[in-house]
Amino acid sequence: MWERKPVLLLVLATAAIMVGTIVTMILPFAWVNTDADRIATVTPYNPLEQEGRDIYIREGCNNCHTQTIRPLVTEVLRYGDYSKSGEFVYDRPFLWGSKRTGPDLARIGGKYPDAWHYKHMESPRAMVPRSNMPDYGWLKNNLLDPQNIRHKMDVLGFPYEQAEIDALKGKNEMDAIVAYLQKLGTGIPWRKTAETLVVGELHNPYQDDLTVLDAGKALYMQHCAACHGEKLQGEIGPELTDLDMPDADLYQILFNGFPEDGMPPFSAIGSDRLWKMVNFLKNEAKH
Amino acid sequence: MEKPNYNTDIVRSFINWGIIWGLVSIMVGVIVSLQMVEPALNFPPYLTFGRLRPLHTNAGIYGWAVGTTFALFLYMVQRLCKTRLWSDKLARFQLWFFNATIITAAITLLLGYTTSKEYHELEWPVDIMVVILWVAFAINIIMTIIKRREEQMYISLWYMMASIVGVAILYIVDGAEVPVSLFKSYSAYAGTNDANVHWWFGHNAVAMVLTAPPLAMFYYVLPKSTGVPIYSHRMSIIAFWSLIFMYLWTGAHHLLWTPVPDWIQTLAMAFSVMLIAPSWGSVFNGYLSMRGQWHQMRENYLVKFLIIGITFYGLQTLQGPMQAIRSFSAFIHYTDWVPAHIHMGTMGWVSMIAFASIYYLVPRVYGRELYSVPLANLHFWLILIGQLIWTISLWIAGVLQAGMWTATNSDGSLAYSFMETMVEMYPYWWARVFGGIIFLFGVIVFIYNLVMTTRRGEVSPASERTAVEGRA
Amino acid sequence: MDWASILYLGVTFGLFIIFVLIVRYTYSRKNREQNEEAKYRMLDDD
Repeated sequence: MWERKPVLLLVLATAAIMVGTIVTMILPFAWVNTDADRIATVTPYNPLEQEGRDIYIREGCNNCHTQTIRPLVTEVLRYGDYSKSGEFVYDRPFLWGSKRTGPDLARIGGKYPDAWHYKHMESPRAMVPRSNMPDYGWLKNNLLDPQNIRHKMDVLGFPYEQAEIDALKGKNEMDAIVAYLQKLGTGIPWRKTAETLVVGELHNPYQDDLTVLDAGKALYMQHCAACHGEKLQGEIGPELTDLDMPDADLYQILFNGFPEDGMPPFSAIGSDRLWKMVNFLKNEAKH
Repeated sequence: MEKPNYNTDIVRSFINWGIIWGLVSIMVGVIVSLQMVEPALNFPPYLTFGRLRPLHTNAGIYGWAVGTTFALFLYMVQRLCKTRLWSDKLARFQLWFFNATIITAAITLLLGYTTSKEYHELEWPVDIMVVILWVAFAINIIMTIIKRREEQMYISLWYMMASIVGVAILYIVDGAEVPVSLFKSYSAYAGTNDANVHWWFGHNAVAMVLTAPPLAMFYYVLPKSTGVPIYSHRMSIIAFWSLIFMYLWTGAHHLLWTPVPDWIQTLAMAFSVMLIAPSWGSVFNGYLSMRGQWHQMRENYLVKFLIIGITFYGLQTLQGPMQAIRSFSAFIHYTDWVPAHIHMGTMGWVSMIAFASIYYLVPRVYGRELYSVPLANLHFWLILIGQLIWTISLWIAGVLQAGMWTATNSDGSLAYSFMETMVEMYPYWWARVFGGIIFLFGVIVFIYNLVMTTRRGEVSPASERTAVEGRA
Repeated sequence: MDWASILYLGVTFGLFIIFVLIVRYTYSRKNREQNEEAKYRMLDDD
């Protein structure tokens, strides 16, 4: 039949290829990105954010960072609420990635203050010791081109105000990429809904226990020093030398953070480690 | 029947250029592996990991794999059809345009012109070049088959034809994009749709570029090297139809647990497991062809490359389906396990078969015997050991990191911060650098051996005749 | 059982039948020579 007829063989091979293609690649267009999975609060990128996204693509950030959180316990604990289809309807192209050499960024938006990102992009190891991320401080030297960005917005059909385009003048690529990162994952109010409440009376299990100070210091260096300084002198975050409050209150601050002011919650690292940090901080404040 | 006057000139050129781009890919691979352990080796803006890694993958896939595929297909199609190539001029254009495309690709990637889509990073003008290149190649191969002087179509021709249509469909559909400027475009699809289309492409690029062509080479070079036919042509036919039918359903196994609809993921999972059958159909066909010939593993260096290569194909097609299962994917995905899986395929299977095929071709298109068999054996052991160090160390690293990512304390909190898990990777990443350098060294031995063959190899009268006649 | 499920089952069954037919055709005694000859012919040249 087809063994000696190359044209027929080509046609049949194409047909064999098309069956799976139609079912798993073409048909899904009927379900995905339809009204059913739209989310009202998810908005298109503004001009600055979209330009930041294009810089993210240009620099190949997606080679090391994913942007999709799976509905798995430890993954939600580590990165935040799992990703929903409707959150990506304005992503052209998608940037889910396939390898986490660095952490997932799907919900990085609002986790740290802008100042953290500027400092981290400039010198990743200043904020995260032993990180292998390249330095991106040079992005500051490249100014944005407002007309080109307006053209991109027109092609994408995203809404923008003339004021937003005018505001791009004088801004650089670093501003854009930070704005983009701060937008990621904020389309749904997941921080509000994922907030953990502390209920009942808090009791410090390490009350007056000086043996945990070293452990507390190590934890401070790992999680806090980048913003509050190695000697608690403050930098991106305030200095911590005056912490005149009950242990339970300090615990609550570490647990919940001040997300509005750029201090992330540290509930995910667990109560045991939080109490050790409380002991360390209180002990430092005394001196 | 008088011996046809084959075009061997073009085959020689594609061998040379395929090897050059392969060397580029491997060297850039060693550089990016060093950047992973020493960030000071990033030199912005052009030479950072984010820009060099796509250069490594594109040079490997489109330069080395496709380059050797061109060489082998242009050779095999003439022999299997017992006729000269349909058009020498078109083949010459294809060679010229192939290099122009790869060079443009390399330059644009370093300039940061990228679509971000893995293995399809090339921006739209370069995309168009790839399509023109592929059409030129397709026309020449198909026309040669149509005007063939041998009625039978051997299985290698089937795989060649499937690869030709498969790549064309995949590349064009996934490449749909809206240009903004000469080197910037936005994907025609958004979000979850874009992801689903792209991994339909991504996984089947593996099928049509890194599976079908090496299988075509394997089915051709193995019987030619051993002198005995393959075990069963009919079994290869069943495996062929099953393979090209099933592959297309499996793309979403790259997207398990993502927002892509569950039923697509489940289909991908099921078909991935089913794919073991046709994959192992080819593996068994290879093994069974060796009945009574196993002594050739010792005596014939070509057979050693081919049988170890098909063995890694067999391992690859067991490990792949395992990773495609939801529970296992939940654990292992996004870790270094995955690059290790890919590199067992590219270094252990595709490159192993490509090296064997080139060793087979060179005496036939240059009319000279191989300069040194001991050097070919040294090459074999270096690339085998290099690949094993590379992959085994990163499998361990992947399991280690996955375990740390999912570890929790008794109070339900995460046991490790992300950085605590990342710094554990450094020793394994160093092992990868080491494995990569050994592999690179093996390839340099290979190139040296070929260069010496063309200069000092013993002239073999029989093959010289065809080589000289073949000059265009 | 709804119509969609019946459709899916039908398509699956149909594809399976096609597979069985290809195997039967390929392995039929009648076509044995035709489908195995190529592997000998390819060794002919050189």
